[in-house]
Amino acid sequence: MIEGLTSSTLLEKHPRLEDIMCSLDTVGKMPSGVSGEIRQAVALARRFNESVARPYALELDRKMHEDPTYVPWDIVKEINRWGFYTNWIPKIYGGRGWNLGSLIPVVEELCSECAGIGNLMGVEYFGMSVLFAGWNTRITDKVCRDVVAGEKSGEPCLIAGLVTEPGAGTDAEETELLHKARVRCLARKVDGGYVVNGTKVFISNGHVSTWHISTAFEDTSRPADTMMCFAVRNDAKGFVYGRMEKKMGQKGCPASEIIFEDCFIPDEDVIINAEQIKKLKHSPRETAQQVIDFVVTLTRPGVGAMGAGVARGAFQEALAFARETEVRGKLLVNHEWAQCLLAEMYANAALARLTYMECNHITGLYGMAALLNLKPMYYYMKMMPTALLDRVMPFANRLAAVQQAFRKIIMDRQKEEDALRASGWASLSKFAATDLGIKNCHLAVELMGEAGIRHDMRAEKFLRDSKLLQIYEGTNQLNRLNLFKCLVAPAAPEALVFEE
Amino acid sequence: MKADVSEELKLLDEMARDFAAKELVDEREEHDRFPFAPLYDSVLSKALEVGFFAVMLPEEAGGSAEPVSALCLVLDEICQADASLGATIFTNALAQEIIRQAGGASLLAEMASEDGSFQQSLIAFPSYNNPGEVDHCARAARDAGGYELSGDVPYVVLGGVVNRALLPAKTEGPDGYSFFLVDLKSQGVEVSEPVLSLGMHSCPAVDLALGGVIGTLVGTEGEGSAYYEAAVDRLSVAAAAMAAGTMKGSFTGAFEYSKEREQGGRHIVDWSGLRIILADMAVKARAADMLVEKAAGAVDREEPGWQQQSRAAALVVGGMATDATTDGIQALGGYGYMKDYPQEKRFRDAKQIQSLLGITHMRRLEFIQRVVDGEAAW
Repeated sequence: MIEGLTSSTLLEKHPRLEDIMCSLDTVGKMPSGVSGEIRQAVALARRFNESVARPYALELDRKMHEDPTYVPWDIVKEINRWGFYTNWIPKIYGGRGWNLGSLIPVVEELCSECAGIGNLMGVEYFGMSVLFAGWNTRITDKVCRDVVAGEKSGEPCLIAGLVTEPGAGTDAEETELLHKARVRCLARKVDGGYVVNGTKVFISNGHVSTWHISTAFEDTSRPADTMMCFAVRNDAKGFVYGRMEKKMGQKGCPASEIIFEDCFIPDEDVIINAEQIKKLKHSPRETAQQVIDFVVTLTRPGVGAMGAGVARGAFQEALAFARETEVRGKLLVNHEWAQCLLAEMYANAALARLTYMECNHITGLYGMAALLNLKPMYYYMKMMPTALLDRVMPFANRLAAVQQAFRKIIMDRQKEEDALRASGWASLSKFAATDLGIKNCHLAVELMGEAGIRHDMRAEKFLRDSKLLQIYEGTNQLNRLNLFKCLVAPAAPEALVFEE
Repeated sequence: MKADVSEELKLLDEMARDFAAKELVDEREEHDRFPFAPLYDSVLSKALEVGFFAVMLPEEAGGSAEPVSALCLVLDEICQADASLGATIFTNALAQEIIRQAGGASLLAEMASEDGSFQQSLIAFPSYNNPGEVDHCARAARDAGGYELSGDVPYVVLGGVVNRALLPAKTEGPDGYSFFLVDLKSQGVEVSEPVLSLGMHSCPAVDLALGGVIGTLVGTEGEGSAYYEAAVDRLSVAAAAMAAGTMKGSFTGAFEYSKEREQGGRHIVDWSGLRIILADMAVKARAADMLVEKAAGAVDREEPGWQQQSRAAALVVGGMATDATTDGIQALGGYGYMKDYPQEKRFRDAKQIQSLLGITHMRRLEFIQRVVDGEAAW
């Protein structure tokens, strides 16, 4: 046997074992209750697919083909009725507090039927993660309880996240690029708040969301150092809906243009800004990157799960076609070459799933909600009656001390290497799983020939839907660079990233 | 693709380019809204007028009797702008070629003598399926008067647009299938609503249900497969030309955008990662040009192995175009995914071009079967 000290030195060499086998650490540390939660959540998603998504997916897509301005309230209300918008809101904010680890397997499940409907559900948690990431417990509590109330009343109250601008897409998710970016969304400090002017584009769920969690910049010539984040309702003065984009796919999920015209944001709706983080350890730019990373380490594996979903959905349609179609007098499923191809497709979906599940482990251990996965905390929260929490938390969440404590614990104590590992793997899952997803969609359309190009056979819709996965949440090119920055560059100190 | 073309073909090529610029580009997004907006009838009429639907047709049938190279030039130019019209030209040319292979020159001449509308001149055909592979054939019963067709033929391209279709059907006699010309306006033809499809929206298809419809036999009973494969030998390269044109359009769109768009403080064309993507697209377009030109020339001159050259070009260029147009969206990021730019349409169209003439795997198997049977591999 190798001595302990030597052994740990060996394992510390790049690539470090803990960077490449994160699930090893997770196995013992995660509460066993999580796996039961994942089973229940996936079962619910399957029931939803059978009774809602599959019967409606083609009709919705066709409706949007015909009228790109159609706002899909019918399906949003259905998702709301099923509880998907509050299942993963923590109990301290009034939700059901399902473990976050069960969220993205549900995203895969929904996207295996329809990525548009999957996004209508999943992107709610993008908006929510932008809200959570600043650790402003007061505003988070207020907004989340609105979502819960919207579920009870049957009038959906959703949250959208507003980051992308017309001139800044890739720019907006990486501070190294952000400081040279052409951002225009300006937040000017005035008495009692800010006046915001600017435009956000491609906002998923924009037209069906009540709350909008947006980034803006106090000085657009120094955006990386002056990023702030605020919450605004869609009925605020100066909040204007622009167009709904005409997209190639994921048509069921609106992508909205949102314009701020002298929109006044009171101080109490500012989630995080330079003023609030003065007492924290990191510089404004580092904090901006930290907030972005909190968000993307959750959302990028989520998009990876969408990739796994379309990979699986395309495979399922191809298999169904092969089982009922004769080619040269023999069922396609009995052609040897077709079996090889279907095996390839099955493996692509499995590989995509592995990447996001690995990420799921990392996020669980090191991500923004890691606290909730400590066994004592996990079981304590599970046993805690919601009614009791609802009596206490709305008040506790308003206390500056509570908020400050959260920020100290979560933002100041995060280890650099943990942040890098999480961010790097999130990017890995995002581009690898979505590349595999579109690959399977291409293969399905190709295998099905004439049937593959027909809307009523579903494969072509998977292909159209899947292409967006390589673009949003940072293009797959940006995500490759981020992986390099987080997982490769530490072993290659001479490497300069984003400085070509 | 224009290294050593004749003066005559240069003129045809220019005409196609001018036509595309004038008739296809400005209204591209609107044209693509079919079936939720009207079909561009006036464009089809003008395309008929300038002779795009008769490029390879024999002179006695009112055509230009040009070689396949000429058709490839036209398709390349048209598909750079809007591949839907390319698919219309291709489908009609394929039907004409099958009839020609079946010795039906007189049938073609007869059609040419009718009125000059595109509804009357063009032939609908299920151009995305090989009837010998996936058996989408009607049944043809023979009686004293001729043949009566019954059964379903799905995805008949142009079936809801024109008056006549060339359809595969099986007779009670020989094993193989036969081709029949059918008047789509006649008794017993049930035409579905236009089938919503991945791409090629303004070259729409319908599902046909036939109930005892009179059909005119083309060529010999049971020989459909021979005519079809012979036509595919000649026209595979034309499908490759469509793919090449579509991918050139996609490259141009990506390249122009990348010189305008800035990220991280500079034009994205100045990031080497994107340059690699652009290089891959440009290299594929260049390689496609070489393949199409070489294969089309081989078909025209009937060089040894011309059939395999034509088929190889369709398979390889078809695949390259699906990759290149995927990147063509990526270069524009979110904007590439939106209908305001034609990149998403090119991606859909290129994928659909790949499906022309049947499942690619079966076409690959056919290619190697011929090698097994003694054809030279190259």
